[in-house]
Amino acid sequence: MKLLNYRIKTFFKYKDLIIELVSRDLKLKYRRSFLGYAWTILQPLLLMMVWVIVFSNLLGRNIENYPVFLLSGRMMYDFFSQSTTGAMKSVTGNSALIRKVNVPKYIFTLARVTSCMVDMVLSFGALFIVMLVTGAKFYWTLVMIPLVVIQIYIFCCGLGFFLAQFNVFFRDTEHIYGAILRALLYLTPILYEITRLPENLQLFIKAFNPLYYYVGQFRDIVYYGNVPGPRIFWGGWLIAFLMLAIGVWSFQRSKDRFILYI
Amino acid sequence: MSKNIIEVDHLKIRFNMATEKVDNLKEYAIKLAKHQLMFQEFIALRDITFQVKKGEAWGLVGPNGCGKSTLLKAVSGILQPYEGTVKVKGKISPLIELGAGFDKNLTARENIYLNGLVLGHSRKFMEEHFDEIVEFADIENFLDAPLKNFSSGMKARLGFAVATVVNPDILIVDEVLEVGDMRFRRKCNERMQQMLDGGTTLLYVSHNIESVKSLCDKAIWIEHGKMRMIGGAQEVCDAYRDDQNETIRVRKEERRAKLRAQGAKYDYLVVGAGLTGAVFAREMAKAGKRCLVIDKRSHIGGNLYTEDVDGIQVHRYGAHIFHTNDEKIWKYVNRFADFNHYIHSPLAVCQDEIYNLPFNMNTFSRLWNLKKPQEAREKIAAQVEPSLEKNASYPDGTVEEQALSLVGAEVYEKLIRGYMEKQWGRDCKELPAALLGELPLRFTYDNRFFEDDFQGIPTGGYTALVEKLLENTDVMTDTDFFVYRRDHPEMFDRVLYTGRIDEYFDFRYGHLEYRSARFETERVAEADYQGSAVVNYMDPKVPYTRVIEYKHFAPETEAENPKEYSIISREYPENWQPGVELSPPAGRRQDVPSIGRNASRLDGTAEGVFSEENASCPGCTAEVCDPLRDEKNMALYERYRKLADREENVIFGGRLGIYQHLDMDQAIAAAMELAQEEKLRFQKKRGKDVLD
Repeated sequence: MKLLNYRIKTFFKYKDLIIELVSRDLKLKYRRSFLGYAWTILQPLLLMMVWVIVFSNLLGRNIENYPVFLLSGRMMYDFFSQSTTGAMKSVTGNSALIRKVNVPKYIFTLARVTSCMVDMVLSFGALFIVMLVTGAKFYWTLVMIPLVVIQIYIFCCGLGFFLAQFNVFFRDTEHIYGAILRALLYLTPILYEITRLPENLQLFIKAFNPLYYYVGQFRDIVYYGNVPGPRIFWGGWLIAFLMLAIGVWSFQRSKDRFILYI
Repeated sequence: MSKNIIEVDHLKIRFNMATEKVDNLKEYAIKLAKHQLMFQEFIALRDITFQVKKGEAWGLVGPNGCGKSTLLKAVSGILQPYEGTVKVKGKISPLIELGAGFDKNLTARENIYLNGLVLGHSRKFMEEHFDEIVEFADIENFLDAPLKNFSSGMKARLGFAVATVVNPDILIVDEVLEVGDMRFRRKCNERMQQMLDGGTTLLYVSHNIESVKSLCDKAIWIEHGKMRMIGGAQEVCDAYRDDQNETIRVRKEERRAKLRAQGAKYDYLVVGAGLTGAVFAREMAKAGKRCLVIDKRSHIGGNLYTEDVDGIQVHRYGAHIFHTNDEKIWKYVNRFADFNHYIHSPLAVCQDEIYNLPFNMNTFSRLWNLKKPQEAREKIAAQVEPSLEKNASYPDGTVEEQALSLVGAEVYEKLIRGYMEKQWGRDCKELPAALLGELPLRFTYDNRFFEDDFQGIPTGGYTALVEKLLENTDVMTDTDFFVYRRDHPEMFDRVLYTGRIDEYFDFRYGHLEYRSARFETERVAEADYQGSAVVNYMDPKVPYTRVIEYKHFAPETEAENPKEYSIISREYPENWQPGVELSPPAGRRQDVPSIGRNASRLDGTAEGVFSEENASCPGCTAEVCDPLRDEKNMALYERYRKLADREENVIFGGRLGIYQHLDMDQAIAAAMELAQEEKLRFQKKRGKDVLD
């Protein structure tokens, strides 16, 4: 209990630092660019256009309003891949600081995931623009967006912690994880509907691909206008907290040895 | 105030990847299979135990990589102990690296916040103290410039300003201030001092030993991860510095030994391990040249040689008193030895009367029982008279004529005549006036023999000073140059020859003459034999010209360790016989004993009314010689000099090499000049090689 108290106290002591680190990430991303924060929205828009042009005839022939379909899935994936990649490098990348100042190390991981989350939320603007332009319907279910965002945020934090500590000891992680991300992009129903896959592969993805739960929920809310089914909804929460537990545990266990390896 | 704020107990820090980092899976798997994993451990620190009380300032010293920074990191909580405990009470401000947490792409303003937050301050706190930080860092004009455009000094200023914005309980500083400019360093030191006064505890790492000494009360010397010494900052720092110097010396010595074993050729063969040779060898070694110093004698130091005899430094070849007006030279010699504040004021004994030297109001007052300078002037003026007898063979006058015209009959008879005749073995009517010099009279009660700005005697003796000068040079004593040159002509490129120039040329034009003296040294069973370092005996019936009592050259040593005995030398004048080898073959020596300030100023160098110097050890005698620069000898020397000029790759230096008396400071200046010329010569040669 005392320990928990201490942890909460230090967290609050450093909350300003987290905020500052998040704002640093966001500031630096577009500093000196002419359009600045507009890129948060422009970039997914431009990318989406490329993807739509390439894939709409290939994979989306039977999908109504393919741009919204694609973008709603893609946004989840982008957040997932950016935040976990960033988190993975958050400890090694701040080695100079960690070696010199006694700050809680999870701050850097947390700040990185958080800044990606803020980035994602801002880029929702792009999604709404596309929805407006393509005349998509705005369902009431949109109000559930925060629930999905929180789930995937918690999941990414957990995975981020795990990757961050693992990467300290084995720098190969970066390369392996790059390949895994690429595989995930195609193994998650982002470009296509899951029903297009063979039966057993569908089962496999539903069982083992956590991203499926978040992409599925988000798409239900935004694209289909459904309340997500209990399986993916509760499953999403469960996976998120499970991942967080694994991440925090592994991070706590090894954080004191970081300094010896960075 | 007496509470321990930091308690470190048997701290051990272990790194387990000493030889290589295992940071990829393949290596991990291989190491795991080979059971090599975790076996390579490196103990960065072990058995570190100390307690710091509130308000104390501790310095950590030690060579690079000894574990100082590791210890600071352990105290500030960055590193966890492998064994042992670290207990810290209070808020720590670590300056292990200034501006850790600076992002070079952010502006200074943004970085101030970021860095402050990294150090655990709240945003509100930073906002309140923002102006204070900017003012201290002195960067008002660059607040919105990205930090990557800042100089390292500016970053250091900013980092220090942020880190010290609060008064932490413990301030940890790890050699971070070295990059700042002088003004900033002073500002930092003031700030740290203020914090210390305000009760902050300081842990300070610096390679600047002086700053550790001035800032800290206590210090720990760490070496190879262990505490080598803990205690007062002063002692620890001094011990550490001495050890470092010793380490450097040993390393250089090893390198020299290696080259020696390889039989590598020397750049210079320096003949004579006296002051000239030692200074030259040192300067050339500093310029990267290898020198071999040889000396015929069994010791280094030439005529400067001093020897510890029962706790008294005996000047074996006559009393040497260092004096100079050149601050540079004074600083130079002080780098190699500590000098005391001995001020030379010799005495003269004449028929049971004691007089002060040089001739001053004390002397006149004793002679004539008068008080005022004007009375003395009148008295002397009344006695001054032209000599009645002229000696036709001395057109410039004789000593007698000179003395009578300068000081009058009474002073001449009592204080000059007997001494000069004893000294030179001839009647004053047959001695050239030049030997007496200008004989200045002082109409003040000032007994100081030398009027130079700097004067003193090295507390550890002159031998230690020369030893220090020669510490990075190969030295061979008991080595005769002519024998060495015959046996090893291939071992050296160039020669600095500080022996007798006539001997070098095998006396082919005849012998140059030297005035010499002999010392008979004895131990007397009196705590104080004569109450002064040098007493001159003017009476012709006394066979010696002076008595030197060595303990008076080092009053501080005597005060520390009073002795019931004393060591004295009697100096006998001796006419040097051409062709007769002086018992200790001469190297170099200071000061010609002669009468009158600036006496024997035929060449414009000598000095010394009843000069000082010359000695030896109890029960033995030593002899020294000095160039006798009269017309005959100078003409002879000129002929030798012409020969010397034609001698390629041999430089002649030192008193005997250039047949000229040199004071110690003059010898040093001359040797440095020689070294400078040699360096230029090499530069020119290199320049030519490049052009070719």
